[in-house]
Amino acid sequence: MSTEYSQLVNVALAYGVPLNTVTLILMLPIVVTIITFFRQVIGIKAFGIYTPAMITFAFFSIGAQAGDFSKGIKYGTSIFIMVILIGTLSRILMKRFRLLYLPRMAIVITLVALATLAVLMIGGFFKRTGLAGVEIFPILIMITLVEKFVSTQIEKGSRIAIILSLETLIISLISYSIIRWQPLISFVQQYPWTILLTILINIFLGHWTGLRLMEYFRFKDLISGKNVLKK
Amino acid sequence: MFSKSKNILGMNARNLIYIRPNNLKSAKKLADDKLRCKRVLKKAKVPVPRLIKSIKTQEDLDNFDFSTLPNSFVLKPNFGFGGDGIMVVYGRKKGSENVWVKANRSPVTEDYLRTHIKNILDGSFSRTGTSDVAFFEERIKLYPGFKPYAFRGVPDIRIIVYNRVPVMAMMRIPTEASGGTSNLHRGGIGIGIDMATGVTTTAIQYDRVVEKSPRGLLLSGIKIPQWKNILELAIKAQDVSRLGYLGADIAIDRENGPVFMELNARPGLSIQVSNQEGLLTRLNRVEGLKIKTVRRGVALSQNLFGGEIEEEIEGLSGKRIIGTVERIKIIGRNKKEIKIEAKVDTGAGFTSIDLDLAKELGFSETMEEYERIYLEQGEWKKLENLTAKERKLLFKKVPYLVDTAIINSSHGTSYRPIVRVKIIMDKKMIPARITIIDRQHLKYPVIIGRRNLKQFLVEVK
Repeated sequence: MSTEYSQLVNVALAYGVPLNTVTLILMLPIVVTIITFFRQVIGIKAFGIYTPAMITFAFFSIGAQAGDFSKGIKYGTSIFIMVILIGTLSRILMKRFRLLYLPRMAIVITLVALATLAVLMIGGFFKRTGLAGVEIFPILIMITLVEKFVSTQIEKGSRIAIILSLETLIISLISYSIIRWQPLISFVQQYPWTILLTILINIFLGHWTGLRLMEYFRFKDLISGKNVLKK
Repeated sequence: MFSKSKNILGMNARNLIYIRPNNLKSAKKLADDKLRCKRVLKKAKVPVPRLIKSIKTQEDLDNFDFSTLPNSFVLKPNFGFGGDGIMVVYGRKKGSENVWVKANRSPVTEDYLRTHIKNILDGSFSRTGTSDVAFFEERIKLYPGFKPYAFRGVPDIRIIVYNRVPVMAMMRIPTEASGGTSNLHRGGIGIGIDMATGVTTTAIQYDRVVEKSPRGLLLSGIKIPQWKNILELAIKAQDVSRLGYLGADIAIDRENGPVFMELNARPGLSIQVSNQEGLLTRLNRVEGLKIKTVRRGVALSQNLFGGEIEEEIEGLSGKRIIGTVERIKIIGRNKKEIKIEAKVDTGAGFTSIDLDLAKELGFSETMEEYERIYLEQGEWKKLENLTAKERKLLFKKVPYLVDTAIINSSHGTSYRPIVRVKIIMDKKMIPARITIIDRQHLKYPVIIGRRNLKQFLVEVK
């Protein structure tokens, strides 16, 4: 670990703000900038900006407690996928009861929570306690992801919901890998003011009117002028 | 590849360049409020589905007598979007009171409707998730011509209107995959439409080209009835909604013809794939035009954005669209042809060409002889005093000269010879009487004047 912190970080530490807190707060602008870059330039939408940012930090927290970068990915991804699966199942189950939206969502979240508990217990039974050792907050964040998923399913259909979930997972994994990258952590601790650069980047992204990378794929027949229909 | 991608409108450009500055918040709010839209459009004499009853509160719901509902109707959330929460009811179940059926024959009871309305009032389908209003409206009956293509729903026509010109259109048909809604995200089929004729072109599903409907019918070449009328409705809707960049959704009712369904403030981009053309080119072409009447907007749209069937339509209206600078071909004496860029100038009466060009076209003798006589007469003002007959007599012996003319232009007054040539402009052959003048100091050696522009509409950039 680098011990050379910037004046700002030292002052924060002197006032009793933990180093981890300072670092994570400084990482947040980077994470949200990565998410906007993915949206505006690459064209990966995910569930807005809040959900992927939260999932990123959930990954981070799980990884930090398990003391291993790869465990963060392993546990985080499995909880993520489990939440999506159980969420879909319970939605199908709840469909026939025709309940109002919020009560229905509450039941879906309850079912996901119970399922998560079951998974943790089964893990313990097979002496795989790594996951059970993880603090509850990142897991709770993952569970509430189900609302975003189910409401998208209702609004835009299952296909879009699954695509958006996968995109959220990908962006979160990439952001997680970046904020766990030691050279970046040291850099941010040494030069915290460089975080302000993300504002400039976002101003640039906010004016960007070019095609998104994914749109080159979406419109590839149009761009290549290949008309599949023979006239 | 790169140059073609420049014509495509992407999400970023759509939001930043077209939606943000053109669709103001108040206009967007109107578009999201279906009931207000209905009122506003109706007032502007745009036909909309008839409102049966709106239910605003739980009290309204408790007091509503379901037996007053007709046999078929549509139940909608007022602030719903993407077609969510819409329930289409096709008929009353025989022999039972207050039980209806959906398109898939599943029964709809009064309780079922009540729960659905409660969900709507609760805001389950609203864009913002806050409380909403439910309403019943008349169901659009499928136009027989579309019957073979649609699965359990009614196809609609999406038209992008910008600057009072319909720039692109697409027919959207519900499929089994889309569950009877014409939502493209859900697997509905979109078919491009030729703006001139209202005939369908290329079909797409999930942004990829398909040739036939799931039932094996060819999707191109479907003729949409009352096309001009539909285009007019779209422009009128833009005028009342003040959405500068509008997606107008229009359906066709078996009995009432075109009916306006919805205003869309954020129309999607797939329409480009189904038309096999980018929107940016078209949007740029209508940018800044002053369209005074609805009819003018329709005519421009048909003329500018008609594809292969363009010739036919231009033939009908008799006018072709040209720019202010056109590449033309002039055919002079002895079939001498010269290709050249000409300035189209509606401020000029006669078409005029430069002296050197006239010589190249085989009028050297004419000019020599004309100038000799002209100089003999001295000042042109003396010529002016002669009668037309006297002048004709004077220049009678000049070869290939048809007439002479006094031209008042911004450069002063001049006396010019007139000769006869043929001009080919935008593939049209125009026999023309043109004047010859020294235009060496000007950028274009040819000016096309009003006399030879009768078959054209000039588009000013």
